[in-house]
Amino acid sequence: MKYILPKQDLNALLERWSAEYAVLAPQKSGAYAEFLPYTPRSELCLEEPHNTRYPPKALFFPQSEAILQYKRTTGQLESISAVAQKRVIFGIRPCDAKAVSLLDTVFAEGDNQDPFWQARRAETLLIGLGCHAPCATCFCTSAESGPFHTDGLDALLTDLGEIYLVELLSERAAGLFDALAPASSILQENAQAVQSAAECALPKAFELDGLKGKLDRVFDQDIWAQLAQSCLGCGICTFLCPTCFCFDLVDEAQRDTRVRNWDTCMFRVYSLEASAHNPRPTRKERTRQRLMHKYSYWWEHADKLGCTGCGRCVRYCPVGLDIRAMIRKAGAYENEVLHAN
Amino acid sequence: MPTDISTRNPYQPTPMRVLRAYYESTDRSLKTLELSFENHADRQAFFRKFNPGQFCQLSVFGKGESPLGVASAAWEGDFVRFTIQRMGSVTKALHELKPGDTLGMRGPLGNGFPLSEWKGKNLVIIGGGCAFSTLYALTKHLQYPQNRPDYAQLVVIYGARSSGLCMYKQDIQSWYQREDMEVHQAIDVPEESWDHHVGYVPDVVRQIAPSPDNAVAIVCGPPIMTKFTLPALVSLGFPAEAIFTSLEKRMKCGLGKCGRCNIGSKYICKDGPVFSLAELNALPADI
Amino acid sequence: MTELEQKIRAEAARLLSEGLVDVVMAFRKEDAPLRPQPAFFTCVEDLENLIYNGLCANNLANYLTRYPDETRIGMLVRGCENRSVNALVVEKQHSRQNLYLIGVPCTGIIDWRKVVALTGEDILGYEETDSSLHVRTKRQSYQLPRRELLHASCQRCVHPNPLSADIVLGEALPEGDPALIRERVEAFEALTRAERTAYFKQEAERCIRCYACREACPMCYCEECFVDHNSPRWTESGTTPAGTHAWHIIRAFHQTGRCTSCGACERACPMDIQMTYLTDKLGKDMWDSYQFAAGMDAKSQPPFASFTLDDRKHFQAGGMHS
Repeated sequence: MKYILPKQDLNALLERWSAEYAVLAPQKSGAYAEFLPYTPRSELCLEEPHNTRYPPKALFFPQSEAILQYKRTTGQLESISAVAQKRVIFGIRPCDAKAVSLLDTVFAEGDNQDPFWQARRAETLLIGLGCHAPCATCFCTSAESGPFHTDGLDALLTDLGEIYLVELLSERAAGLFDALAPASSILQENAQAVQSAAECALPKAFELDGLKGKLDRVFDQDIWAQLAQSCLGCGICTFLCPTCFCFDLVDEAQRDTRVRNWDTCMFRVYSLEASAHNPRPTRKERTRQRLMHKYSYWWEHADKLGCTGCGRCVRYCPVGLDIRAMIRKAGAYENEVLHAN
Repeated sequence: MPTDISTRNPYQPTPMRVLRAYYESTDRSLKTLELSFENHADRQAFFRKFNPGQFCQLSVFGKGESPLGVASAAWEGDFVRFTIQRMGSVTKALHELKPGDTLGMRGPLGNGFPLSEWKGKNLVIIGGGCAFSTLYALTKHLQYPQNRPDYAQLVVIYGARSSGLCMYKQDIQSWYQREDMEVHQAIDVPEESWDHHVGYVPDVVRQIAPSPDNAVAIVCGPPIMTKFTLPALVSLGFPAEAIFTSLEKRMKCGLGKCGRCNIGSKYICKDGPVFSLAELNALPADI
Repeated sequence: MTELEQKIRAEAARLLSEGLVDVVMAFRKEDAPLRPQPAFFTCVEDLENLIYNGLCANNLANYLTRYPDETRIGMLVRGCENRSVNALVVEKQHSRQNLYLIGVPCTGIIDWRKVVALTGEDILGYEETDSSLHVRTKRQSYQLPRRELLHASCQRCVHPNPLSADIVLGEALPEGDPALIRERVEAFEALTRAERTAYFKQEAERCIRCYACREACPMCYCEECFVDHNSPRWTESGTTPAGTHAWHIIRAFHQTGRCTSCGACERACPMDIQMTYLTDKLGKDMWDSYQFAAGMDAKSQPPFASFTLDDRKHFQAGGMHS
């Protein structure tokens, strides 16, 4: 079902939702956009060229979270709750919504479902805003996503100037839009045109077809050292990544709490063992792990690519490393070097 | 709305109590803890799933968790045994526990040994150092009168750096009297009153030269021992599909979620820790 | 290619072709707009990729400690990088005789985030002149005054010229006004304790513990950072206030008498956190108490790292000023 939402009615709609849901929407926080609770005074930034800086995965999987509480003195465990309220996340970009659905394969499938993730996920509706003007750092169309892809979304908005075209994607979200007028077929065609123009505007960043095999075959090669040469070994690319999910479990003794913190394969200490052995001793192995996880191992784990092309790692890398170029070079290495020999 | 998730929190350990605690080695670097369950339901759930070769996350509240291989078989009693090498802050705290103290345990985790695949086969068990603990669990499991007929010959080769570091001494000594198995113990350098093998495990394996016919070999030990024992077995004629080893890496969740212990696309905690050499050969060199 | 770029390439080519160095550290053309990358040239043919402009944002001295002492390194240095090299040589992190410093007087690093903020648009390309930056977006072009785009640390820079380079390419620039750093620190000092605390919290609590500030800093070269030590653990692990406060305050204190005010920490931070107000405050204290500024030569030990029997004051209870 498709509806018309005049932009001037947006605030009234969000306010209506606020009666029933906690509504989160992108707003300016300093120089960048962040998902913050919506209030009538909120100044939404929906026209920003760039995505929120901090990834929305944090709304389901916070960077630091207590997963256990206990009395250290008695060893007594205390009950713990995952606080989840009914939420609408409004204005999430398709790349980030897709990332949430990718993380479902980690936290909501198989034998060990993660109740913290699931509690929040079950109570949250994702209302997406398509990108009519993707950035120079974006590469969603090369990474199995797209500026108007609908994976993970309950509804998708297309900006048509004075109005949004709303495409309802799930029954769960039907009630949010039931007061809106249906969209005419002309508007739907307009939206289609905007969507395909955005899709076409993005150049191909790399050829995904056959890429996994190429990367697997260069695992032992020196190319990773070349790619990692300028890497600082900080956690920006992985912490800002909407699909990276590695975490650490740490006891905060003074708080009688066991905490789950985001962790990153880019840190030396991540894989350092108590015996002092480190299976990934240099940035070469750590960079390789980051790229291989997304572009090879994810396929084996979930039959999906572990990257949605959101471009945060490209945009915020402090040394300007661009995952697109790294992937291209690693893939090309197989052709040039391995096949040449 | 807050949802109480205590009943299905996969990070929540089950409460355990230290039943027995004793040092295994004269230098006090190795300590064995035998733990009993505080709750009947937890005990039932554990033994429903438990298989030798699996591990648990032992929890000292305020310190953290440490993954440790189970060193006991189910038939030994309503307890779970672990032998712990003192390495970091958690294992140090585990060493300080006394009988009656409480701690947490998550598990059993991982795949364990593929025992049903091994039925009818000759088993060659090769261990070194404290990694022998899971092989001890395996041997104990095989020795159980109801299990033993399922397998053919049983050979155990166990090496330690010195006699002072040999674990489970009394029990292993009694294995020499058993007619249903063969035992070889080795230490790295000669010592007075040591009347077993002297030398490194890979050399002892070559010397004993177990037959590869209808056999599987199971190797657990420090990385350097494993590294040289695997080719020794290959040269004795063991095919890669018949050689098994248990891997260790830094772990946190034990559930295949935290991302830490992967080798290529496999997580040691979930897809392992037991792998055949054939499986390992297909994985990238990332350990 | 600018004239300066041409000179840098020529000097790098000479060093490599005459076998005087094993590697030349400089920058190469960006993959993503506005983001030139640190680069490590080992052969003359690759030098066609060498670029140098105001968007080269990293302190290359950061990479020095990755090389063994005997590696002969040719390296592009601006004023701050040269001071970082000096400070690292003092701390025995590389031997000066195996370094060949290609000095460039620096007109300041352009903060790419300011470019984005000023235009409010996605930047597709740019061209730099002495006084301005021309940027191209999907909709239009902008001509932005260079001075306004400079990173805050560069706007306050006192020593833009390399102090001990082996060759200097380009004309020496006038020294900056030291009052700019001082006034900023004094403004912070003049706040009430509650105001200072509020400011510190507002900045530190945005931290995501990615440690980009640490990794970008030439002086943060410890094998094991205090924050990664787990037995005992010195800080709370997460992004809680206690954890982020501890990180920011202890990181700053470890820079006392060592920070050269290059601003690499802030340029790396993904959350736009201000950090130099702390290190500059410590720098001012070092100057006022010891007339010491880090990196001004390759000999002087930072006061807190040196011990002499004729220290003016012995260690005493109650602190330095009692």
